[in-house]
Amino acid sequence: MGKVGIVTDSGSGIILPEAKEMGIGFVSIPFMFGDGEETFFEDINLTRAEFFQRLADGQTVHTSQPSPVDVLKVWDKCLETYDELVYIPMSSGLSGSCQSAVMLSSDYDGRVQVVNNQRISVTQRRSVEDALALAAKGWSAKQIKDKLEEVKFDSSIYIMLDTLTYLKRGGRITPAAAAIGSLLRLKPVLQIQGDKLDAFSKARTLQQGKNTMITAMKSDFEKRFNNEPMHLYCVQAECPEPFAAWKQEMTSAFPGVTIEDDKLPCVICCHIGPGALAIAASKVIPETA
Amino acid sequence: MNTIDTQQFRNMFLCGADNLSSNKAWINELNVFPVPDGDTGTNMTMTVMSAVHEVANLGSTDDMHAICKAISSGSLRGARGNSGVILSQLFRGFCKIVRDRSEIDVPLCAAAMDKAVETAYKAVMKPKEGTILTVARGAAEKARELADQGVTDFDDFLPAVLSHTGEVLASTPDLLPVLKQAGVVDSGGQGLVQVLKGAYEGYQGKTADLARMLNPAAKEDETDEDAKEDELRKLKYGYCLSFFVDLEGQFNPKTEADVKKYMETIGDHLVCVRTDNTLHVQVYTNDPGLVLQKALMYGQLRGIRIANLRLGEEHEDLAEAAQPADSSAGASEGAADGTSAPSEGHKEMAIIAVAAGEGLSGIFRGLGVDHVISGGQTMNPSTEDILNAVDETDADTIFVLPNNKNIIMAANQAAALSDQKKVIVIPTKNVPQGITATINFMPDLDPDVNEKTMEEEISRVKSAEVTYAVRDTIIDDVTIHAGNMMAIGDSGILYVGEDRNATALEALKKMVDDTTELVSIYYGADTTEEDANALLGQAKAAFPNCDVELQNGGQPVYYYMLSAE
Repeated sequence: MGKVGIVTDSGSGIILPEAKEMGIGFVSIPFMFGDGEETFFEDINLTRAEFFQRLADGQTVHTSQPSPVDVLKVWDKCLETYDELVYIPMSSGLSGSCQSAVMLSSDYDGRVQVVNNQRISVTQRRSVEDALALAAKGWSAKQIKDKLEEVKFDSSIYIMLDTLTYLKRGGRITPAAAAIGSLLRLKPVLQIQGDKLDAFSKARTLQQGKNTMITAMKSDFEKRFNNEPMHLYCVQAECPEPFAAWKQEMTSAFPGVTIEDDKLPCVICCHIGPGALAIAASKVIPETA
Repeated sequence: MNTIDTQQFRNMFLCGADNLSSNKAWINELNVFPVPDGDTGTNMTMTVMSAVHEVANLGSTDDMHAICKAISSGSLRGARGNSGVILSQLFRGFCKIVRDRSEIDVPLCAAAMDKAVETAYKAVMKPKEGTILTVARGAAEKARELADQGVTDFDDFLPAVLSHTGEVLASTPDLLPVLKQAGVVDSGGQGLVQVLKGAYEGYQGKTADLARMLNPAAKEDETDEDAKEDELRKLKYGYCLSFFVDLEGQFNPKTEADVKKYMETIGDHLVCVRTDNTLHVQVYTNDPGLVLQKALMYGQLRGIRIANLRLGEEHEDLAEAAQPADSSAGASEGAADGTSAPSEGHKEMAIIAVAAGEGLSGIFRGLGVDHVISGGQTMNPSTEDILNAVDETDADTIFVLPNNKNIIMAANQAAALSDQKKVIVIPTKNVPQGITATINFMPDLDPDVNEKTMEEEISRVKSAEVTYAVRDTIIDDVTIHAGNMMAIGDSGILYVGEDRNATALEALKKMVDDTTELVSIYYGADTTEEDANALLGQAKAAFPNCDVELQNGGQPVYYYMLSAE
C-alpha cells in the first residue's frame, strides 16, 4: 500500500498558504464579478477583504468550476510525491465540479479517488482533516473515500443570513430564497444537510436567529447524532463583533464541548453576503483517533 | 314547588339565554378597558345562543339527557371569549349532574351548581377572583348552604340564591382593583347574573319565545331598550336616507372620516361603507338635502331612497345588517367567509392564526401560516370556528395562534375537543407575538421543540396597541377621558395622550431598551399611510440603534400595533 496524498478545493474554506502548511494539494475556485471577463482566485489575486468590499459595492459575483486543466495540474503534481490521492471537492449538490472530477479520474486507474460526500465549508474542511488522519494511519485512497462517503450525512450546518439581499441577487439558491418570500424583513436561517442548501427557518432579530441555530443543532446532536462525540464549529462571514458574542453563546449552550472557529468560504459568501453567522458540526470518526 | 321537571328546566334555560341576550349591549359597556369594542355581552350571548339552537333542534322533548347534551355541546362549541368559555363550562358541569334525572330538586340543583363551578375553575389555568368565576362560586355556595339547611322549596331557594349572587357581583370591584378604578362590576359576572335572573323568570312562569329568539328577522337581540331607543330616534329624525356615491377624484380615509363626522352632526344611525369607488351611505336625518349636498362633493349620486320614519315607511336597516355580532348565525357565516381557503396537501405540522385585517392576514400567509381565521378583538372566533379550521387543515399537528388574550381559552377548548389531530395552542396574546411565533417555527424539528421555542420567543417580544377611549375611566391610576388615545401594553396602560402618533411614540419609548434590535409598527385601517410614515420617521429618529419597520396591517379598532424585540 503506497502513500496517499489529499487534494481539496477552496469550497472547504482552506486557503493556499494553509494548504501548503497542511501538505495537501489545493484547487482554487474562480470568481467573476458582474459581466467582467477577469477571473479572480481567493488569496491569489483577490484578498478576502477586497472580495467583501466588492460585494458591499453591489457587484454581482459568479463562481465557476475550476478548469479541468487546473485540477489535473494539481493532481499530477501531487502524484509526483504520492502513489495515489484522495480528491475532496465541494458538494456535488452545489457545483458540477465533483462530477467533472469523477470523469477526469477515470483516466487514473484508481490512483485518484474522488469523494462525493456532499460537504462544503467547515464540514468539507473536516473531511480533509479526517482524510489526512486516516492516510497517516496507512489507509488506502479507496478506503478513505469509502469511509468519508459512508459518514457523509454525519454533519450539519446552520447559517443565519443578515439579509435576504444577496440570496436574491445570486441565482444558485433561489429555491431557498423563494421559500422565505415575505412582506416582512427577515433574516433567513439556512441549513446544509447533505447536498441541499435550503431554508430552515427565519428570524426577525439576530438574537432569534442565534436561538434558532442553537435549538436546531441541539436537536441534531440528540436525534441525528445520538449524542456521540462531535467536532463543533463557530463560524462567521466578516462580522467579528457579533462573532465574539456568538462564540460566547455557543460556549454556554454546549458546555464541555470544544468549539473551533472558522470562516465561511467566499464560494458561499458570494451568495449570502457578509454578516452571516453559522454553527457547524461533524461527527468524530473514531478511526482517526 | 319542590321539583323542576324537564320542560321547566328547558324553559328556564331558554329564558336565561333570552335575558342575557336582551342585556348584551349593556354588559358590553362594562368592559374595563374603554376600547371601542367591549364585547363580553356579545361573546356570552353568542355562546349561549349556540346552545339555544341545539336545544331548538331537538324540538319539544321530555328527554332530559338530550336537552343537557344540547346545552353542553352547543355552548362548548359556540364558546367565544373568555367569559363565553367559562359560561360554557358552567353549563357543562351543571348538565353533567342533572342529565340522568327527569326532575331536579333542591339538593340536586345545589350539587349541579357545585359541579358547574368545579368544572369552570378547572378550565381556567390561573383562576382570577373578582370575575365570573367568583360570582358563580358565590351562587353555588349559597345554594349549598340553603340545601344543607334543608330548604326544599324552589320558591325560597331560587330568589335567595339570586339575591346573594347579585351581592357577590356587587363585591367584585373589591376583589379586582381594575374594576374598582374603572367603577364597574365584572362584565362576565353580570352576564351570569342575567342568565340566572332570566332562568328565575322562567321558573316563575314566563315562557321563552323560541321562535323570536331564533329568528333574526324578528330582531332576536333587540331589547326593550333598543326598541325604545329606536322610537326616540324616529321622533328625533324623520327620514331614513340611503344612496350610493360613485366616487370621483381623491377620497382617502381622512375624507371618509370627515364625511362621517359631518353626517353625524345632522343625523345618526349612520352607515358609510366604501367598496372600491362606491360609497354606500345610510343615515337617519331631518335634512336629507344637506346630506345629499355634502355627498355631491365626492361624486355622482344614484339609487337615492328616502323613507319617512314617522309615517312608518319601510326601509332596509343597514346598521343592523352591518353588525354581524347581532345574530349568531350571521356572525359565524361572517367568520367563515373571511376565512382563507385551506392549503393543499398533507403536512406533518401546520399553523392556524387568528387575524383581522387584510394586511395582517397577508403577512401571516406570507410567513407560511396555513389557515387564517378572520377575527380578533372585534370578533372573537368561537371554539367551533377554530375547530372548523382545524378540520380543514390537513396536518398531524396543528399550532393555533389566537393572537388575542380573549381567544386563548376558546382555542384551548378547541384543542381539548379535537380528537383526530393534535392541536397545540401557543398562547399569543396579540398579533406581534403571533408573528414572532410564526417566524420561529421550524418545520424540520419536532412539534415539542417548536412549541417550546415559540413560547420562549413570544415572551421576548414587547408589544402595545393604540386605540381611543370610548368613555371616561381610570385604569392603573391613569385618568382617561373619552376620545383620548391609549397605548395598552403587555401589562396595562403605557401612555395616554391626545395625538395617536405621539401616543404611539411615547409607548415605544417605554418598550425599547438596550437589547432591542427591531421595532415593528403595524398601522390599522383607520390610520392613513401618511400618518404612519410620519410615525416611522419619528421612531427612526428616536431609536437610531434599532431597525424600524412599518407594515400596513389594516386591522380594525387599533390605529397601531407596536412591537419591540
